[in-house]
Amino acid sequence: MEHDDLDRFLSDDEIVPSSGFAARVMEAVRAEASAPPAIPFPWLRALPGIAAVAVAFFAIVAGFVALGRSGVDTPVSTSLTLPPGTEVTWLIVVALLCTVPVVVSLRITRGHS
Amino acid sequence: MSAAEDAQAVDRVLQGDLSAFEGIVRRWQGPLVNMAYRFCHDRGRAEEMAQEAFVRAFRGLAKWRRDAVFSTWLFALAANLYRTEIRRIPPRTVALDQIIEPADPSRTESGLEDEDRRRGVRRAVQSLPSKYREALVLFYFHDMDVATAAQSLRLPEGTLKARLARGRDMLRRKLLHGTR
Repeated sequence: MEHDDLDRFLSDDEIVPSSGFAARVMEAVRAEASAPPAIPFPWLRALPGIAAVAVAFFAIVAGFVALGRSGVDTPVSTSLTLPPGTEVTWLIVVALLCTVPVVVSLRITRGHS
Repeated sequence: MSAAEDAQAVDRVLQGDLSAFEGIVRRWQGPLVNMAYRFCHDRGRAEEMAQEAFVRAFRGLAKWRRDAVFSTWLFALAANLYRTEIRRIPPRTVALDQIIEPADPSRTESGLEDEDRRRGVRRAVQSLPSKYREALVLFYFHDMDVATAAQSLRLPEGTLKARLARGRDMLRRKLLHGTR
């Protein structure tokens, strides 16, 4: 097939829109205009939760790194032994971390109701 | 409607006059439906895709930065939407409106032969990898204007030229070997 033939066949491939096309488009546009705007994600409200998750994540990573480092210098222990008195502190920290997402979720749902 | 009138219509729509958008639709419905038709060769689907392009244009009208004329922005938006749609649901090799099209007895033999060759070219174009197919479709849609086609595809002109050359080469080889 010649170069010009290709140009001809690919150039004159035209149709005319159906008579009701513009009306259908305007109907869709009006529906779009009357639809309520999309609800934006509540970044401000979610921020404390995201920050709490980030802090918890980094704390866990830091804990593992610290454990790994101590493991290089000291003999491997099968159980994690904490200094006396720190168990309660850790329990309080974990409990507080668990309440953060609950509180944030409650605040968000109350804001929408 | 000129480019300035397009801009005025857009301003009116942005101020809340929805009826001004009808002028835009009437002005650009032909080009947008035709561009879609070149992608899918199915009249019904072409109109659906063009309608969606208009709705998206309406939604994003405030994003038109006026550094190019309105039609350039509109064509780029439509081309982007059509490409995504065609990749999502590829067109059938032979569209329904081509199968049920009644034969015209007044057609000459050469006319029928021409029609066969045209269909062969369409099928060959549809079988090309998407990046070459899109380059060819938009190049011919824009009356073989490389700069405008490149703007619609948001590609550098050099890249488009390379894709056109490669696409035409593949197309010619397909047609030569009868791979339809």
